[in-house]
Amino acid sequence: MREVVTVQVGGFANFIGSHFWNFQDELLGLAGDPDTESALSNHGLNMDVLYRTGETPEGVLTYTPRLLSVNYRGSLGSMSSYGTLYNQNPELLSPVATWKGDISTQRSQPYERNLFLRSLYEEEQKQSVSIDSKRQANSQDETQDKDIVDCLENGVQYWTDFSKVHYHPQSLYELNGLWADEEKFNNYGMGKDVFAESFQGEEMAERLRFFIEECDHVQGIQYVVDDSGGFSSVAVDFLQNIADEYTNTPVLLYTVRSPDSFMNPRNKKRNISQDLHNSVSFAKLSSFCKLIVPVGLPFLGGSKASMHLRVNDEKPYHCSAVYAAALHSLSLPFRMDLLGPTSSSISNSGALDFNSLLQMLSGDARQNMVAILDATLPAPTIEEPAVESFLSKLQPLTPEISEDMEDVHSVESLVIHGALGPGERRASVSKIQQAIDAAYEQSSFRPRFCHLSAARCPLPIPLPFPSIFSANVGNRGQLLSSPGSNSSSKGSLDVHSIPMAARLRSSSAVLPFLSNRLENLRKFGVQRGALGGELLKNWGFEKEELEDMSESLASMVKALDPYTDVSSDSD
Amino acid sequence: MSLRVLNPNAEVLNKSEALRMNINAAKGLQDVLKSNLGPKGTIKMLVGGAGDIKLTKDGNTLLKEMQIQNPTAIMIARTAVAQDDISGDGTTSTVIFIGELMKQSDRYIDEGMHPRVLVDGFEIAKRATLQFLEKFKTPVVMGDEPDKEILKMVARTTLRTKLYEALADQLTEIIVNGVLCIRKPQEPIDLFMVEIMHMRHKFDVDTRLVEGLVLDHGSRHPDMKRRAENCYILTCNVSLEYEKSEINAGFFYSNAEQREGMIAAERRSVDERVRKIIELKNKVCAGTENNFVIINQKGIDPPSLDMLAKEGIVALRRAKRRNMERLVLACGGEAVNSVDDLTPDVLGWAGLVYEHVLGEEKYTFVENVRNPHSCTILIKGPNDHTIAQIKDAVRDGLRAVKNTLEDEAVILGAGAFEVAARQHLVNDVMKTVQGRAQLGVEAFADALLVIPKTLAENAGLDTQDVIISLKGEHDRGNVVGLNQHTGEPIDPQMEGIFDNYAVKRQILNSGPVIASQLLLVDEVIRAGRNMRKPT
Ligand SMILES: Nc1ncnc2c1ncn2[C@@H]1O[C@H](COP(=O)(O)OP(=O)(O)O)[C@@H](O)[C@H]1O
Ligand SMILES: [Mg+2]
Repeated sequence: MREVVTVQVGGFANFIGSHFWNFQDELLGLAGDPDTESALSNHGLNMDVLYRTGETPEGVLTYTPRLLSVNYRGSLGSMSSYGTLYNQNPELLSPVATWKGDISTQRSQPYERNLFLRSLYEEEQKQSVSIDSKRQANSQDETQDKDIVDCLENGVQYWTDFSKVHYHPQSLYELNGLWADEEKFNNYGMGKDVFAESFQGEEMAERLRFFIEECDHVQGIQYVVDDSGGFSSVAVDFLQNIADEYTNTPVLLYTVRSPDSFMNPRNKKRNISQDLHNSVSFAKLSSFCKLIVPVGLPFLGGSKASMHLRVNDEKPYHCSAVYAAALHSLSLPFRMDLLGPTSSSISNSGALDFNSLLQMLSGDARQNMVAILDATLPAPTIEEPAVESFLSKLQPLTPEISEDMEDVHSVESLVIHGALGPGERRASVSKIQQAIDAAYEQSSFRPRFCHLSAARCPLPIPLPFPSIFSANVGNRGQLLSSPGSNSSSKGSLDVHSIPMAARLRSSSAVLPFLSNRLENLRKFGVQRGALGGELLKNWGFEKEELEDMSESLASMVKALDPYTDVSSDSD
Repeated sequence: MSLRVLNPNAEVLNKSEALRMNINAAKGLQDVLKSNLGPKGTIKMLVGGAGDIKLTKDGNTLLKEMQIQNPTAIMIARTAVAQDDISGDGTTSTVIFIGELMKQSDRYIDEGMHPRVLVDGFEIAKRATLQFLEKFKTPVVMGDEPDKEILKMVARTTLRTKLYEALADQLTEIIVNGVLCIRKPQEPIDLFMVEIMHMRHKFDVDTRLVEGLVLDHGSRHPDMKRRAENCYILTCNVSLEYEKSEINAGFFYSNAEQREGMIAAERRSVDERVRKIIELKNKVCAGTENNFVIINQKGIDPPSLDMLAKEGIVALRRAKRRNMERLVLACGGEAVNSVDDLTPDVLGWAGLVYEHVLGEEKYTFVENVRNPHSCTILIKGPNDHTIAQIKDAVRDGLRAVKNTLEDEAVILGAGAFEVAARQHLVNDVMKTVQGRAQLGVEAFADALLVIPKTLAENAGLDTQDVIISLKGEHDRGNVVGLNQHTGEPIDPQMEGIFDNYAVKRQILNSGPVIASQLLLVDEVIRAGRNMRKPT
């Protein structure tokens, strides 16, 4: 077994995580289902990589994500931090067993469960009564499903609002009360003491150890952090702890941003603060992982990646779904059977483990640890005449990169799954391979190296997935030539699965991203009399550390562009 | 839980409005925490929006649960939490003392007095009170054989403010013994060497001291013993799992055999390490009934576990970093980082190692050790919030005992110090002060009384009666505290009610500093800003 443990830190990271685990849960639910297409019901992925088997004190078996989610108190909405399986019935026994004096009870306003969560709960109750009556689709259910979709479209506030997954009680960790406005938790300095304060770091480390101890052979940690504010420094401290404790366990780090985190920098001061935050946060985070993938566009809705999507940038519920889909695709190779580089199975090919992937992208000839994420959803059909355009459909989800740079030294890892072939039939794994080989052959530009992983299983679209497909997307994710009369967007009721492709790319196209961070750090932080000097001091940085950080950013730039002059222009 | 004492937009208020806001915020926070104070205080059960329960009688825990947004309240809360970090106790007292300093000041400011004058008086009073504290404290000698009775009384005093009497008393002995177990002559006490472990148990609330260690995991092989006697303990930080070595650039083009070959080579080196451990085991155990237990900080993969199990070795992986240190202190031996360091000398010893399973949770007990310098306090409770609350109390108790050992002094509690200090300020200090700063000293003196007053109030007593009789008894030359049952004066010494010296000193130091900042309002607002956001 080669387990992957996932860590999610901060608001948007948990939104993405919620969708990500919904996909997994959907796959688990469809497994072996006779009414479902075999590519989905018989996907051949090893789910144990991401999931653990457990047992409640009552002896009920459980299957839950190997996950530690960190967020501040109050961000779990109507979900209990114990999750839903290991029920403690807290108020059943004498509620206070430790005090004989007065008791005062303060109840927060109970969070109402929304229609979706209520129906999940009811379904569960029903299932425990009669297991066979599953899937008796009748018109009543359908109208209810429509109501559910509407209610999520209009009313998601917390990531738990659209989650259908059972979590382990160790999984959901809440940090203490913030003692500040949520909006003010927007820079590196705000989170700097959180990890050390009142055993919080210790508790996080202990929970992670719980998940790692039981792994027979953990292949790596998939770490997603919302790095738009104070959670950056929480994540950095935690990563440092992980690097000390699990020195040989590789960390794949996704730094994620919702579009609204880019919005309205009011005045100049705030801008400097934001720029410095971006520099510092990136420099620190990158120093404790093997590969870092910045994810999140300032305008996702209008981006090329959203060609067939209708994403509302103001809704984290929408945007996180897109990124989660890409993360799901990227996680597939870790769960395929490792049969060696040449053999392949019917469902999957191109298995990779964490180490090999990270080594390939970051450790090879040039030491570049920053990768670009590209994706296409839904992926186009792989049909003969159009094959060469397939690669050009992959569009970046990483911000601040140069779009037309063709780097002959680039290294790529491409994952395609559920692709449709001629006649909208599910393409076989070998067909996909051939098509991609052909695509590279025909393409004018070729990377130095590309690894391909292919799977038959498309991305399943679970009920709580948002309505973000444009009208020309069909129920299996195929692109319709005549989208029909209805021009509004489509969601899980109309689209049941989509073919997808996602790619990690180590390329000098990431240079603008890096140089922006380097320049801002120098200009506002390091240079003599820099405008942000005082600010950085408040965030806990000494001059020396800042210089080290700008040094390491400079060497990242240099690795990609040996001819650039990155020598510091101050003194 | 949400506490919005006042409009958070402090910056836009003018000076007197801002001062008023500060006073109100301080009072507001005092109101929230007041009922917590002392053994007759109220426990708070906080039920979150999703039904999660948090139980606390501790000001510190309560503050951390709150969503505080008012900058003044945040400042006070930070001070109070720092109070706990530094001294281990006294959060509630800090908050209500600051609140009371502000309340008392309010009276004088209403009469037109300038805050600056009050602040000057605070400074004088603070210094005088700290001097008085030195005179008032009860020295205790803590040589090689510490006075266990006094330690127990200090522990009992704090514990009884958090847990009901019988439960507190059960813990008292455990906590004192725990600290004495890890204490080494001439060295600072490292409370981390007392592990606090918990287990869920259907009905019981129970706590015990394990001389040795309890780990929250077990062996990961079905054939390993669940119980072993007379065990050598190997504490190590050695990877016993296959980790792919750095792959060369050509990896992806290489063939399957090459890959297999690399894997085999790596496997061999892991096996080699396991074999070295087995060798050591055979050396020390051969011909005896003794057992061999490995507790490793790194991973151990299934093939390694297989090899070890075949030799009858019990092996635990991924132990907490801190347990490496604790194990060595409990069992002896040394923690090794490499199999090259394996000699019989590095092995520790435990008379008994056994596993306890609760659902998916496993515990390993390492007991009957020879000369423990590390131990575990094991808490059992029916649910997480009960366990959490006991855990907090245990931490408080441990700190109280450690403080006493380090301070070599204690302070008579139940309001005795506050009453005595107040009388000292009013009767002796005030007359030495020139001008209106006198009034600042008086305000400070009266603010001290908030402690006995609140203790009385929480016990359902008439605060004025209580204060009058305490002052009276004090002026007759006795040291008196409050009997919370009757309202009568008592001698805390007789009742064994002792507080920590370090805690009191810290309260006296930080309270007036914050109150002064809040009174000199311009500085306050800027300070508040600096703390919370960039300028
Ligand atoms: N048995 C007692 N009778 C009266 N007062 C007591 C007794 N035990 C403790 N106290 C007082 O209670 C106060 C501590 O209460 P506590 O709730 O622990 O608050 P804090 O968080 O400030 O430590 C101290 O002033 C102490 O002297
Ligand atoms: Mg106390």
